[in-house]
Amino acid sequence: MTPWVSKSSARRHAMVDPDVGLMLRVREGDAEAFTELMRRYQARVLLVLEHLVGSRDWAEDLAQEVFLRVYRARKTYTADAKFVTWLFTITNHVASNALRTKARRREVRLRAAANSSGSGRPLERLLQCSSGQIPARQLDKAEMRDIVRLAMETLNERQRMAVLLSKFEGMSYADIAQAMDMTPQAVKSLLSRARLNLRQMLIPYLETGQSPETSPAVHTEEIAP
Amino acid sequence: MMDAPQPSKITDEELIAYLDGELDDPACRQIEHLLMTDPHIRRRLQELERTWELLDKLDAPVADERLTRSTLEMVAVEAAQEVQKSSSILGHPLWIRWLLGGSILLAAAALGFAGSWWFAPDPDRQLLEDLPLLENLDCYWQIDDFQFLKGLQEQGLFQEDGDP
Repeated sequence: MTPWVSKSSARRHAMVDPDVGLMLRVREGDAEAFTELMRRYQARVLLVLEHLVGSRDWAEDLAQEVFLRVYRARKTYTADAKFVTWLFTITNHVASNALRTKARRREVRLRAAANSSGSGRPLERLLQCSSGQIPARQLDKAEMRDIVRLAMETLNERQRMAVLLSKFEGMSYADIAQAMDMTPQAVKSLLSRARLNLRQMLIPYLETGQSPETSPAVHTEEIAP
Repeated sequence: MMDAPQPSKITDEELIAYLDGELDDPACRQIEHLLMTDPHIRRRLQELERTWELLDKLDAPVADERLTRSTLEMVAVEAAQEVQKSSSILGHPLWIRWLLGGSILLAAAALGFAGSWWFAPDPDRQLLEDLPLLENLDCYWQIDDFQFLKGLQEQGLFQEDGDP
């Protein structure tokens, strides 16, 4: 984000986006405005974080960190983008840092677990267990939720973040690009690969109740911003 | 908005951008035309749509009051720490701050006075320094030889009673 924005530009953003107005009030020290922003966005931030890190407790800790950072950054806040874009830029940084730290700590443990876990693909294992006996049956809600959750977990972190922002925040490619520090074209490619991965994982199961191919060509490569 | 796709071939990326509302009107029209004529593209689109809709099955966490309260408490602690930090300079009682400010002002005034006394030209100070010369000026006028005058001074002729 640019460090400076003109007053007229800030006013324009505040008029278009009421949450920008709230954040500008937070900048002036209005505690009530901060509480209101939290009430509006806490569940949304939590949703993205929970599906990004895969744990409710951890997501809650990170959501608190996000709002603490919002508070700390209030004095330097400039209304040069939609509030939601700014908020999810912070969310993305917090989640990325947390996942990177965790990945460093768990690297050895994960390698050991992968070696001792058969197919090593939780989605496939779940699909084999749940649908091996009754193909094409009706899926119950909880089972479907687990399948979708596991399919999401096959995406890499950036794909998952882009999918969550697009699906649950309805953000445009341009806004996602801003939040994730990428170009809109890169977001387009990232989302495309993510959705093709999801299709590849989920469609066979939806149609037959069977697990997808054992080695799907999952598009997980990273792309340059 | 993204570039328009080739009429002859449409990529998954373009189909997804179409579903996401990221294509401009001409590109949308081209895709819609292909969708009407090509069942294969229609099927690809439907699969992408179905899997996208499946994401609605994911849990949507509800931020309970406990989390909100706990976060606000953390922010309040942060705010208190900020206030404490910023008031470490101004954290003393008012009278001490006045006293400190007054002392600084007095010290500044004294320094200013001393500086001006030493460095500003003062005609009275010069007169005082030249007073012995002025008192004996008539005598000095009588004698033309400077060496002779110096010799008289060395003999103590111009000394006052109280001089060492």
